Amino acid sequence: MNWLMNNLPYVGQLSALHLLQSIIPVIAGTLISIPIARLAVGRRRDGRSTAGHTAGSAFKRGAVVNTAALLYTIPSLALFVLMPLVLGTSITSPLNVYVALTIYVVAMMVRSAVDAFESVSPVTLESATAMGYKPVRRFWAVELPLAVPVMLAGLRVALVSNISMVSVGAVIGIQSLGTLFTDGLRRNLPAEIIVGIVGTVVLALILDRLLALIGAWLTRWRKA
Amino acid sequence: MKDTDVLDSPNAIEFKSVTKKYGDVVAVDNLNLSIPRGKITVFVGPSGCGKTTSLRMINRMVEHTSGEILVNGEPNTAQEPHKLRRSMGYVLQQAGLMPHRTIVDNIATVPRLNGTSAKSARTEALQLMETVGLDTSLAKRYPAQLSGGQAQRVGVARALASNSSILLMDEPFSAVDPVVRQDLQKELLRLQSELQRTIIFVTHDIDEAVLLGDYVAVFAVGGRLAQFGTPEEILREPADDFVASFVGRDRGMRRLTFAGASDVKIHPLTSQHTPWQQWELKVEDGKPAGWIIDGRTIPGGSLFVEGGTLRDALDSVLSSPSGVGVAVDRNGKVLGLLKSEDVLAATEAERHRRYGVNA
Amino acid sequence: MNIFDKTWAWFTADGAWTGAGGIFQRVAEHLGYSALILLIAAVIAVPIGLMVGHTGRGENVVVAITGALRALPTLGLLTLFALWLGLGLVAPIAALVILAIAPLLAGVYSGIAAVDKVTVDAARAQGMTESQILRKVELPLALPLIFGGIRNAALQVIATVTVVAYINLGGLGRYLIDGLAVRDYPRMVAAVVLVALLALIVDALLALLQRALTPRGTR
Repeated sequence: MNWLMNNLPYVGQLSALHLLQSIIPVIAGTLISIPIARLAVGRRRDGRSTAGHTAGSAFKRGAVVNTAALLYTIPSLALFVLMPLVLGTSITSPLNVYVALTIYVVAMMVRSAVDAFESVSPVTLESATAMGYKPVRRFWAVELPLAVPVMLAGLRVALVSNISMVSVGAVIGIQSLGTLFTDGLRRNLPAEIIVGIVGTVVLALILDRLLALIGAWLTRWRKA
Repeated sequence: MKDTDVLDSPNAIEFKSVTKKYGDVVAVDNLNLSIPRGKITVFVGPSGCGKTTSLRMINRMVEHTSGEILVNGEPNTAQEPHKLRRSMGYVLQQAGLMPHRTIVDNIATVPRLNGTSAKSARTEALQLMETVGLDTSLAKRYPAQLSGGQAQRVGVARALASNSSILLMDEPFSAVDPVVRQDLQKELLRLQSELQRTIIFVTHDIDEAVLLGDYVAVFAVGGRLAQFGTPEEILREPADDFVASFVGRDRGMRRLTFAGASDVKIHPLTSQHTPWQQWELKVEDGKPAGWIIDGRTIPGGSLFVEGGTLRDALDSVLSSPSGVGVAVDRNGKVLGLLKSEDVLAATEAERHRRYGVNA
Repeated sequence: MNIFDKTWAWFTADGAWTGAGGIFQRVAEHLGYSALILLIAAVIAVPIGLMVGHTGRGENVVVAITGALRALPTLGLLTLFALWLGLGLVAPIAALVILAIAPLLAGVYSGIAAVDKVTVDAARAQGMTESQILRKVELPLALPLIFGGIRNAALQVIATVTVVAYINLGGLGRYLIDGLAVRDYPRMVAAVVLVALLALIVDALLALLQRALTPRGTR
């Protein structure tokens, strides 16, 4: 407690940095995942799902989902460290963390976005087509809103996991609440580490709650 | 000028040598069929007979392989699929409502797609809710909050909102329970008497086909049209063994649906006593309330309502504990009793009339 | 030489594979830590998941706990435990067990809970005891989701065990941390490749095991 009181501005500043690194990759990763997943799912134009699948579409879906899963096996620390090689940035550039975390969010979100699009009732899509929706408008007006509930579940997991992963960036010197861990270890200050852990968890719980509220509003049609 | 010509022509939709193949499998085989304007035409048949495929080819949810489908005299391939679809209503088995939209917005979907303002589309949607017998207080609810029957009514209202002369209905009532289904069927007939749209209705239930259809098209497995005619024609003279077996063992009974019972004598209730001494009809406030025998009261059978069919008359006799049917007026007041021998004689007379034989 | 050639050179250098600090030793350490962590986590998570999934009691608690566990930063736990427990094996194992519990618990719980209630009801109606229902009906039918949780946990643990090198332990993370200290990129790339390969192989083995255990009718 004492440590926190004495370092309040510092912790606040690190929290803000942590927040930024938590939110931006989640937004970017989600925006990237949605088109990938939608293309991977593939549906015939009349809205009947490809369940039963042609060999080609099953392969496409499998390739996308498995590639995403493969990305997830790369240790976060390694991804942070190797980013400069790919991006040509300096090793301490925050961009490394943003891009690396975005990749993780994509790895997690593609799967649930695929599930989400597959969860949309073919009957509903079919009736939309039968009423005269063209494919693009049908995607925005019907398919995407109906995919939200399943996507949201994945998004909440991705968000929370991402918040906890942000702290690993501290090992390569990117400032966040994780800095309290590396600093606390070096200076032998358990209190500093505890502040970091509690701060991270509180941040995760608040953002998760917020996302849940947004989700409840977006899916208010589900409650009978 | 052309439009009026088209609407004057007796047929709304014509199938001309239409075939649909999936690979080598023939789903619909050389279909030739003219669907009369302003009537209910029912496609009926066992599963896999191509009835739904035929329906879906009309609005190009399924594209036909060869032949031609004319809608109001023009090939349905003349306009883009989405425009064609917006021009006709479509009701699906599971209603297919948009779960994320309120009831009123669901009904307003097609007018909105056609560019009607949100306000007037909603006004129209509220009127349509009343038309199909839905309480407008449900307008702001979501589909998940409706019963199956209510959802189907919304589905019908939504199809009507396209304001087209053509309504496609794909087994719309098959997923609701029998009581609700009866309500919906009656409602559809009432609506049709007001609106007189061209309705194509798919079902696998011959009873539903006979009840609703002005015309019935019986499909056989393999996508062959086995018979097209009025329900009475199909029950009276099945074109082949397939149709005969499909319309079923009860077709004799079903056919009585088309025969009036005006010939059947209604015996007045002269006293508390019925023609059968030991049975006594219990009457409360002028309405039948069961039969009394040996001091016990036994619930009565089905009632023959004034103006009913021969089938109703026969059923009232067969279901009555006393073997005597009870006839009531439209307010449920007892008119008199029906004797089985009179009913049987009426069926005989009807049969002779049907085949033009003198009794 | 580009980075790939340099990495290749690192893999093929004398003594890269065998001996102290060689690849074989690091892989063995990495697998050893991972297996131990998964085992301890399973001993804790599986019984809880089975009970909650079967009885339906405590669902909210489980959902809340798995959510909170996911939010716990592993690096934070690792450093904190290292300060408290010293630089031995206990600290990283404890930190990573906590990481692995969330996916395991979620997989077991949701797997059992997702089994069709009608099937369970039918089993009960035929006179199965609750433990028979759990063992002979729910568990076999829940296997796909349970294995989903196990594979998820294994992937996370194998990827994250690299972090233990940060507190001077072994495993493939050694190459990463030591490489980072001297900006030796080929060594770090090699570490990434090795960890990814290891994760894929373990995942494939678990997939085979899952296939062998899943009842034929539900494959």
